[in-house]
Parts: sequence; structure tokens; C-alpha cells
Amino acid sequence: MADDLGLRVRRRSATPGGDTNIRRDGVEVAKIVDIDLCIGCKACEVACKEWNDLPAEETWNFGSYQSHQDLTPTTWDLMRFKEVDLDDGGLAWLIKKDSCLHCEEPGCLAACPAPGAIVQYENGIVDFDSSKCIGCQYCVAGCPFDIPRFDEETQKVYKCTMCVDRVSNGLEPACVKSCPTGSIKFGSKQDMVAYGHEKVAKLVDRGFADATLYDPEGVGGLHMMYVVPRGDMLADYDLPEDPQVPGTFFQALSGLRKLGSAATWAGMLGVGLLFLRTGRFRPPPEDEAVAEAYALDDERTVGPPPDDSAGAAGTAGTNPYDPPPPDDGGEGRTR
Amino acid sequence: MAAPTAPRPAVTDEAHAEQHAGFVRYGLFERVLHWFVALNFIYLLLSGFALAYPRMAWLYPLLGGGQTARVAHPIVGVVLTVGVLVMLVLWMGQSTFSRRDVEWAKKLPTYAKTGHTDLDTGKYNAGQKGYFWAMILLTVGLLVTGIPLWFPDLLDSSGVLRAMRLVHHVLFLAFLAAFIIHVYLSSVAFPGTMSAMTTGRVSRAWAARHHPRWFREREAAQRAAGEPIATPDGEDVGRRSDDSR
Repeated sequence: MADDLGLRVRRRSATPGGDTNIRRDGVEVAKIVDIDLCIGCKACEVACKEWNDLPAEETWNFGSYQSHQDLTPTTWDLMRFKEVDLDDGGLAWLIKKDSCLHCEEPGCLAACPAPGAIVQYENGIVDFDSSKCIGCQYCVAGCPFDIPRFDEETQKVYKCTMCVDRVSNGLEPACVKSCPTGSIKFGSKQDMVAYGHEKVAKLVDRGFADATLYDPEGVGGLHMMYVVPRGDMLADYDLPEDPQVPGTFFQALSGLRKLGSAATWAGMLGVGLLFLRTGRFRPPPEDEAVAEAYALDDERTVGPPPDDSAGAAGTAGTNPYDPPPPDDGGEGRTR
Repeated sequence: MAAPTAPRPAVTDEAHAEQHAGFVRYGLFERVLHWFVALNFIYLLLSGFALAYPRMAWLYPLLGGGQTARVAHPIVGVVLTVGVLVMLVLWMGQSTFSRRDVEWAKKLPTYAKTGHTDLDTGKYNAGQKGYFWAMILLTVGLLVTGIPLWFPDLLDSSGVLRAMRLVHHVLFLAFLAAFIIHVYLSSVAFPGTMSAMTTGRVSRAWAARHHPRWFREREAAQRAAGEPIATPDGEDVGRRSDDSR
């Protein structure tokens, strides 16, 4: 059952090897938020809290229809309301369901240094395993959509799971189920994209010339897309025009890792080889400074070591400053 | 060199003899400081490897777990920085570059090949001074780039954080390279060097060989103080230094 729903792990953070699956028979799932149908009722917010058993958070009236000011470690879904004055004197009231977009190429997963703390299932859902999270917050910086939230108390990061526990049992995510207008839909990625295109065409017919399906290429596409009637106002929706997984950064990081590994091994091997070639840097017997030291020593009677070559077979006795015997085969150093 | 005259007096306690032989190169405080910084550095090195290299994630359990390592890494970094700053105060005077160091730098290839230059080197050669200043600069650089990674909300810019992560990594690699050279040269490469940081003393021959000018200064100081040059058991410490592996 689970396999049919694409719940094999496709990618795992901080794990060498990347995408190791060879089968591609799982269904890729997706949500789509049709902003045209959204009435801003916040039922999805409540459903999210209920299903995931997240505590309610106190809030206050800050002059908006919005319930809370921002996503938090325990608020994974938030209806954002925004009033924008238009050039023609009109007003645009923008409403957006803000939660994890489950990127096909998740910047959070790529940035994560804790093995298995972030996984991407075959079906496209990106999930955090907080038991493995080390709380470094690199995912927060890695996310192009500013979604993950760090909890000071547990020192870990949290976000929407796309109700992976429901999806794995053949149910739609809680927000989808609760939506009274059908604004949030859930199905295969293919079907949702088809719905999106169809809806965009209808919106264009209705006069929303800039209507668009928000499924940006820079992150490989999304598993939660938007139908945006005012496609010219993406910035006002806080939807980046062209979000990117910071490819250059990860290439640089990966290059540094390769360089670092190579340099560390080369350094240690090089030092080892140097040691095998030159051995210890023993002073040659003719060294003047050493002679000076000995001359000073001559003020007292110094006996050289007794002949204990039995204990050091094959070497030039225990005195390293003595020249090696002729048959030494170059083991003593004479430069 | 004196001819063999009599059997060397039996050394009953080599460690004791060594402790009282040669010159003091590092006092107790300096040695404690060095090993304190060294231990902190090793924790930072291992946790840094675990954090930056997925293939080294197996180190996490050795460091107290991933979360512990993540929390401890920057704190240990600050502790190390404090130690390094004390080192700076303590050793900066002796590590100031002079004209002699230019001569030494010119002879670096010879030094690398033979482990010796014929220059009248003082307490530190230019390479040692260079290592000291590299450590200071790298520590400061790692701290400065590490703080935004420690408190990501401070700058609130993922672009800057990513840049810091890269620079931190580059500085770490530079630190690691210097560290490998430091450990090699002070342990296996030059016999008799390690004791400078264990017992605090080096043999007279070691000093004469590697730091002739410092050797003469110490010698003169000892004579001026009227201290006997002989070691307690009359052993020639210069001859033993190579065997203390």
C-alpha cells in the first residue's frame, strides 16, 4: 500500500548517493490552491492544527483579517491577507494559503547536514524527521519560500508534512478535506497541473489576462502549486518570480567538500611519504652549531654512550650525531 | 668530540634526567594553554568534519550526538578563541617578523628539503612565526564567519549565510592544512621537538641546531645566573634527544 502511494524514500539529507531509487512507479502527488476559489475562511488552518495536534497560539488584532502574523514551529499553515492599492485607484485583496510548497528540488534538503533529518518521498512530499534534526537551521536559509520555523525550546525545525500520515493511508491532507469551496485540491501531480492549466485558461477568458499557474522551474516544480488570477502581482503575494535552489552555492560546497577530502588525504599521505623518504630531520655531524654545543659541554667530562649497539642493531649506535658506519646503506642522514 | 673515557653513568630515571636537562622553552602556563587550545581544536575539527561532510556523519555519536555537536561547536569555538587571544598576548612579542625572517623565507625550499637552514635563527624561525599569525588570523576569520551561522537570525539573509558557510569552510581547510604541517614538524619530523610542549624543555643540542641565536642567549643567561651547565647526572642531553620518541 505504502509503495503504491510513493512512500519509498527518494532522497535523504546529508546522505551520499542522492536519489538511489531505480523504480519510478509511485504516484507523484500534489496539492493545488486555486486562489480564485479561496474565500479566506481559514478552515485549512484549523484543520491543520487539529489533525497534527498542534497547540493554538494566542493572537491579537493587528489590523488584518489574518489570524497570526507569521508561521511558527506549531503553525504550519497560515492564510495571508494583503491589501494592495492599484494604480487605477482600485484595491486588490490578496489571500494566499502559506505553507510548505514541497519543492521537487528542495533547497532545505540540500542544505541539511544531518543525515535523514529531511527526506523526500517518491511521491514528492518533503518531510522533516525531527528526531534526526540537529537544529542548525541551514534549511531555513536553504528554503526559497521562507517556510521552516525553528523552535527555541526543542531546538529543532518544523514545517508542514503534507499530512504524510494521511496520504500514506489513502486520504487527502487535512487542509484539502476541510476546504469548503474546493479551492485546495489534491491528486496526482499530473492531474493537478492539468486542472491548473484549464483553470488559468478560464481565468484568461474571464479577463484575468495575467492569470498563471505557479509551478516554478527553478525548484524543479512544486507539489503545492497555486492558480494565481493576478499573475502580475506575484511579488505582492510574496511568491518569488523565479525561485532557485542556490545551485552555484551547492556546487561550490560540493566542490569544497571534494577539495577538502582530497587535500586532507593528500596532506596526510604526503606527510607520510615525506617521512618515509627523508625520515626524521637528523642533524649532520659536521653541523657547527652542534659542535659548539658540544664544545661547551666539554667543560665537564662527558662520556659518550657505552657500546650498546646490541639494542639498536643496524643503526649507528644511539648517538644520532655520529656519522653512520660505511655499511649503513644510507640510513643515517648525511647532507 | 670527547673520546670515550668511561662508561656513562647509569640513568635510572630517564624522564627525571630529561626534565632537568637542556633549556626551558615553554613554561607550565604556556604548555597548559597550548594543550587547552589543542583539545578545543580537535573537537572543532571533528565536529566541523561531521557538520560539513555527510560522509563524516558517523562522527556525530563520538561527539555526543548531532544536536550536541551542533550546539557545542560554536561554544567550543569561542572558548578556543579566548585561548588563542591569550596566546596572542603571550607570544606576539616573540613572533614579530624581522629582516632575518625574509632571509629564512628565501631559504624555505632548502628548509623543506633538509629541515635546516644555516641562518642564525632566534627562538622562532619565520615559518613558526608565520604559523602563529596564520592561527591568529584563521581563528578570527572562523569566529567572524561562524557567528552568522550560529545565529542565523542576526543577519536574516540566506545569501550572506551561504557565503559565510563557504568562507568558513575555506578557512577550515586552510586551518587543517596548517595543522597537519604543525603536527608533522613538531612530532615525527624533528626529533627532540615534542618535549618542548610536554616537559617544557628542549635539549641543548636541539636548541643549538635549530635556534642557534636563542641557544646562545639562553647559554649566556644561564652562565650569567651562575647555573651549572651540566645536567644532574652528567649525561649529555644532546645525544639523547633523538631517541625520545
